[in-house]
Amino acid sequence: MNGLADLGAGLLTLATPEMIFHAAWSTLLGIFVGSLPGLTATMGVALMTTLTYSLDPNTAILVLICMYVGAIYGGSRSAILLNIPGTPASAATSLDGYPLALAGRAGYAMGLATAGSALGTIVGVVMLVLVAPPLAEAALNFGSFEFFWLAVFGILVSGQLTADTTPLKGYIAGILGLAVAMIGSEGIHAHVRFNMGLSDLNAGIALIPAMVGAFGFAEVLTAMWNRAGKLAGKKDSSDRTIPDLIDLWRYKFTIARSGIIGTFVGIIPGVGEDIGAWASYAAAKRTSKEASQFGKGSHEGLIAAETGNSAVVPGSLIPALTLAVPGSASSAVLIAALFIHGIRPGPLIVIEQPQFIGLISAMVLLATVFIAFYGLTLTRLFVQVLRVPYAYLMPVVFVLCVIGTFALSQRLFDVYIMVGFGLVGFVLRQMKYPMAPLVLGIILGSLLDKSLRRGLTLSDGDLTPFFTRPVSAGFVILIVLSILLNIRAVRRLAARPWHWIRGRRDA
Amino acid sequence: MSMALADRISAVVFFALGVALLIGGWTMERLEFRQIHPASIPGLVPMILGVLLAICAILLFITSRTADRDAPRLVFGSWTRLGLTALICTGYAAGLVGWLSYFWATLMFTFVFALVFSFPLHADRPAQAKALASAATLAICVAWGTALLFQEVFLVRLP
Repeated sequence: MNGLADLGAGLLTLATPEMIFHAAWSTLLGIFVGSLPGLTATMGVALMTTLTYSLDPNTAILVLICMYVGAIYGGSRSAILLNIPGTPASAATSLDGYPLALAGRAGYAMGLATAGSALGTIVGVVMLVLVAPPLAEAALNFGSFEFFWLAVFGILVSGQLTADTTPLKGYIAGILGLAVAMIGSEGIHAHVRFNMGLSDLNAGIALIPAMVGAFGFAEVLTAMWNRAGKLAGKKDSSDRTIPDLIDLWRYKFTIARSGIIGTFVGIIPGVGEDIGAWASYAAAKRTSKEASQFGKGSHEGLIAAETGNSAVVPGSLIPALTLAVPGSASSAVLIAALFIHGIRPGPLIVIEQPQFIGLISAMVLLATVFIAFYGLTLTRLFVQVLRVPYAYLMPVVFVLCVIGTFALSQRLFDVYIMVGFGLVGFVLRQMKYPMAPLVLGIILGSLLDKSLRRGLTLSDGDLTPFFTRPVSAGFVILIVLSILLNIRAVRRLAARPWHWIRGRRDA
Repeated sequence: MSMALADRISAVVFFALGVALLIGGWTMERLEFRQIHPASIPGLVPMILGVLLAICAILLFITSRTADRDAPRLVFGSWTRLGLTALICTGYAAGLVGWLSYFWATLMFTFVFALVFSFPLHADRPAQAKALASAATLAICVAWGTALLFQEVFLVRLP
């Protein structure tokens, strides 16, 4: 129960007018960013990182967490009103949210989305404070062998679960990210690799310019390329934004299940909020008594999707804080921001800053209070935000991409990197290569490289410890299984016992 | 263009990149003069990544050939808008910034971007004048606001 005590202490730390003020504006800004199609939570957090250099660490992290939580929630606005998810996390929300809006019940749909998001985040926060400290303590026993497999596992699973068409594209994106991480001075012998004769590349490619390019510039291009959606304007006289408590009570199991699914999806490295929403939605549909209503304006479907995607936020912080392995693309930027502000995520966090997990959980909780408040009171304002023309919005976003990237180390080379990643990221995205494994590859590249070579040095070139140490062996089994399950014949074989059991049960 | 064709093109590019990584890792300095452990040579992981990338590219090429019939088509938006956005943004980030002072570069970029995408070509004069005035106001606010924020608050020496 130490975790809950740390959460209480964290809440007390944040109970100052200054912190509450920062949480209030950054959550609101996050909701605006998330609600605008084309601007994602990752982009919001990446851009906000560049605006928080001069703030003290606690305030800066609070602002970034509020931006993250707000943006994930904000995506539901445009999903419901425009049928275009503001962020990929809200794709499942639009399935039932938009039909409700077309029926004149947009306000109620947004109210349900708000309640689902708030409850999902609370479930995730409870899991965060309970799971993160013991996980970090367990990870203190990890050596190079285990960290190598952890990095491989993260990229593999992220590639597999985030790819739209074939897992191969996810794997390729992950390998590309790892290859990018190979540029510059390596971590064991300080030998400079692949700098192509440019001294600017000696220190490697920084994560923030790459992320701002892949998620900021690429999204500006995508937003200007696509056509705008149509606002659902119909209004029912009985419509309101405060959801019925009886509606929420009726779906209590759906909420709890979606919160737990979302949190576990968040814990899986680099998978992200969209998968959390889809997994929760699918689970709710499978077990629902009103499954036929899903996709036609089901309250349960809407709540499941929103609870699932919001629970991913605290879930993704669990590996980010304890292992320095991001659970989502946005938490990858958060890791970079933590380093910028002098906080070292990883197993040592429970020794160096034991209160930090409680404090960051309290930040998520504070952001949740604000999304609930704004969600139930500022519905009209959010509708107005959706009317801002892209011709006026996108140049502002791009100017922030440029100046924010430049401000990191005050050199124009980073701006060129940002532009390069933006153009390449846009092309890759159109060809359905997921961005999350690419980002995860950039983050984990150094860990994977150092762990493999350090492990081989320790074992004098012998590969056996990579397969025989208990945790390593567990990772190897998981990796082999996740690759094999891509093969249809293996999947069919694995499903046979389940079919047999189901057949016996039905008989 | 079908997704299958796009996949085949990207598979060829990634195969070439994989081979380049493999060669780059193989020919990389092995630091023997520092007497490092042979298993910790800097080129080890790039070589492994090169092989994996090449294998994935081959598999992608093969699967895209078999999936050709039912492959979805790439969804396209407005090429003109995309081309103009890429041109204006890249011109600003890679050309104007550093050549002009940040304030003027940003002012020009924001004005041009807003005007290009909001100017009503076939509307009457007052509507056109309104679009011009809106773009100019936005440009001044963005250039002045961001310059002030980054220079005075974040103490960044602007380009």
